[in-house]
Amino acid sequence: MPPRRIGDDFDADSDSDVSILDDLEDVGRARGKGKGKAIDRRRKDKGKGKAKEQPYAWEASYTRSWDTVQEDEAGSLQGAVQDLIARGRRRRLLAPATAIRRTIIRHLILVLDLSSAMMDRDMRPTRFDLMLQYAREFIVEWFDQNPLGQIGIVGMRSGLGERIGEMTGNPQEVLKAISERHKLEPNGEPSLQNAIEMARSTMSHLPTHSSREITVIFGSLTTCDPGNIHDTLESCLKDRIRISVVALAAEMKICRDLCDKTGGQFGVALNEGHFKDLLFELIPPPAARALARTGSGAPANPAADLMMMGFPTRLPDTSPPALCVCHSQLKSEGFLCPRCRAKVCDVPTDCDICGLMIVSSPHLARSYHHLFPVKAYQAVMALVDTPSPAPGCHGCAQLFEKMASTMTNTTEGMSPLGRYRCPDCHNDFCTDCDVFVHDVVHCCPGCGK
Amino acid sequence: MDKASHLSVVIDLSPTQWHLCSQSSNPYPLTLQSFLSQLLAFFNSHIACKDENTLAVFGAFPGKSVLLYSSTTIAAEEHSVNADANTYRPFKVLDSTIMGSIRNQLEALELLEAEAPIGLVGAITKSLCYINRLTIPSSSTTPAEEKQAPLDPRILIFSVSPDQSPSYIPIMNSIFSAQKLKVTIDVCKIYGPDSVFLQQAAHLTGGSYLHLNRPDAVLQYLTMSFLPPPGIRQLLSVPTQDKIDFRAACFCHKKIVDIGFVCSVCLSIFCNPVPVCSTCR
Ligand SMILES: [Zn+2]
Ligand SMILES: [Zn+2]
Ligand SMILES: [Zn+2]
Ligand SMILES: [Zn+2]
Ligand SMILES: [Zn+2]
Ligand SMILES: [Zn+2]
Repeated sequence: MPPRRIGDDFDADSDSDVSILDDLEDVGRARGKGKGKAIDRRRKDKGKGKAKEQPYAWEASYTRSWDTVQEDEAGSLQGAVQDLIARGRRRRLLAPATAIRRTIIRHLILVLDLSSAMMDRDMRPTRFDLMLQYAREFIVEWFDQNPLGQIGIVGMRSGLGERIGEMTGNPQEVLKAISERHKLEPNGEPSLQNAIEMARSTMSHLPTHSSREITVIFGSLTTCDPGNIHDTLESCLKDRIRISVVALAAEMKICRDLCDKTGGQFGVALNEGHFKDLLFELIPPPAARALARTGSGAPANPAADLMMMGFPTRLPDTSPPALCVCHSQLKSEGFLCPRCRAKVCDVPTDCDICGLMIVSSPHLARSYHHLFPVKAYQAVMALVDTPSPAPGCHGCAQLFEKMASTMTNTTEGMSPLGRYRCPDCHNDFCTDCDVFVHDVVHCCPGCGK
Repeated sequence: MDKASHLSVVIDLSPTQWHLCSQSSNPYPLTLQSFLSQLLAFFNSHIACKDENTLAVFGAFPGKSVLLYSSTTIAAEEHSVNADANTYRPFKVLDSTIMGSIRNQLEALELLEAEAPIGLVGAITKSLCYINRLTIPSSSTTPAEEKQAPLDPRILIFSVSPDQSPSYIPIMNSIFSAQKLKVTIDVCKIYGPDSVFLQQAAHLTGGSYLHLNRPDAVLQYLTMSFLPPPGIRQLLSVPTQDKIDFRAACFCHKKIVDIGFVCSVCLSIFCNPVPVCSTCR
């Protein structure tokens, strides 16, 4: 391993001289700007790579809202938009093509820093307000992608851990827990240990088939702990809890350790947009092998265990009213537990009578696109080897440009013709459809599967 | 109907099923010919409701799916249609384009291909791509030519084929993207047993699922239930579905189960406890 040249990396400027200690990382860093998706080590470098392009939020003297989107010579925003699209395309191409095992039933405790450090204004309007805003967006998106998951919320304020929202599978209840800003007013010092212990005790009873995760948004540079936080780390490891930290200020050795040892992700937000990126990277269900890799005593490939689930029948609005078992209210509509025929108001839920987990099949199906992702489309660079190119997009029938555009050919991974070809059905798609098919539909219109 | 509305239509054009549907042994037989003529009348009334209304028609053929007509790209072909003093010109263009492309597609079908599974999923995803392009400001259009996105985009599916279990996951994915785009999916089941997948599609997107009791009177159903856009339908009493089957099909035998065993990693459904999950093993 070559000796590390101090100062050749942006790290030397940041407050995190601790990271120089773990020389293991040099391997990953040598790869330069890692844009890898699944591998934790490479992801850390992504932040470092970006650091060379963008200044830290506190180094900027003005709000850079006009920096992120730049007009080109013609005064249009096309260049900036295409750059964003290109970045998304590259990320997809680097993602593993095979279906990887992912933990789908997730349990997450979101730990919010409510210490006085959150009143800092280096992120607009304040770190605190920005965190609340992004946390709301995070929760909505998280439930969209993890419909069977549950979220609880813990706050760190005045040296204590505070239970803000109980663990629940209903996004509305989670959002309600953080809707009242004045109840969350930042104060005092944060305590990582207290908050993590509280989160850990909340999740200790959970069955083995679900993931246990803690995501910390941490704005402070200190933590005020009653005991040895490394003991907490040990017990988290034993409970197979994965901890991820999004730091807003700078890297702290203990945060990095918490994430590295438990298989989570660590990132320092450089600015508002990067903060959101880091947080939203935690939304897709984590690959199950990441968990197996870190668990020291755990088997390398935990056998999939099966859960018994009931699929209910939905009663029509016109059926005769009956009492539900959950609220004892007289209602017409509802769902019948397939095992004991009890009537419940909403799914997914555990039957109050027989304890069977009741889900409707659309709830399960919402997760299937993670198992069968659409293959990334390839950018068509030239039409010479295509005998009869289709005149229009196979998805939306928009006609393609006849001539190669001169402006886009500088961007890597973008087709100068605006054509992206499916490797399976060999149909061409336009940029909009490429993004739409991979991010939303998860089903190629040409292959039909 | 203040704002323009967009309608995407997906027609199931399986030759085998339409042949069965037109058998005189059925209580109310409906031939493809008479269905299409009633359908064209419905399209014309949709266009006539408001000048800005847009229409796209997708055909699901065995093994493929084709865009048959789209009111936004048709302008170039308009000149090729002979003028007719007795017909409103846009109607004439629409009718001849749709009939022409259906005829071409059916004639091009090989005998073997006619038995291939119907390309319903492709047609639905294409209509979603089409609506996606209408609703987002495209990167390839300059702001000047950007139009006001049509309100209430919706998809109307005419189905004659039974469900195909392999298409369960793609249809579910399409339903979720329709929800994201706020697209309503209406289903008109003309022939055959009720489709569990399409019932769920209509239920989850707030559309209506209609199993025709009198297929020969399809135009009546269309004008009463599917002509008004979803915003207006709240004021009308459109038929609703009674019971929705939320039961699932197991991955191993495609059997409908009410209590299943679900893999905790990938959520595959099995009807019996299995030692190893065959999907994610
Ligand atoms: Zn109830
Ligand atoms: Zn029960
Ligand atoms: Zn397209
Ligand atoms: Zn394809
Ligand atoms: Zn089975
Ligand atoms: Zn599995």
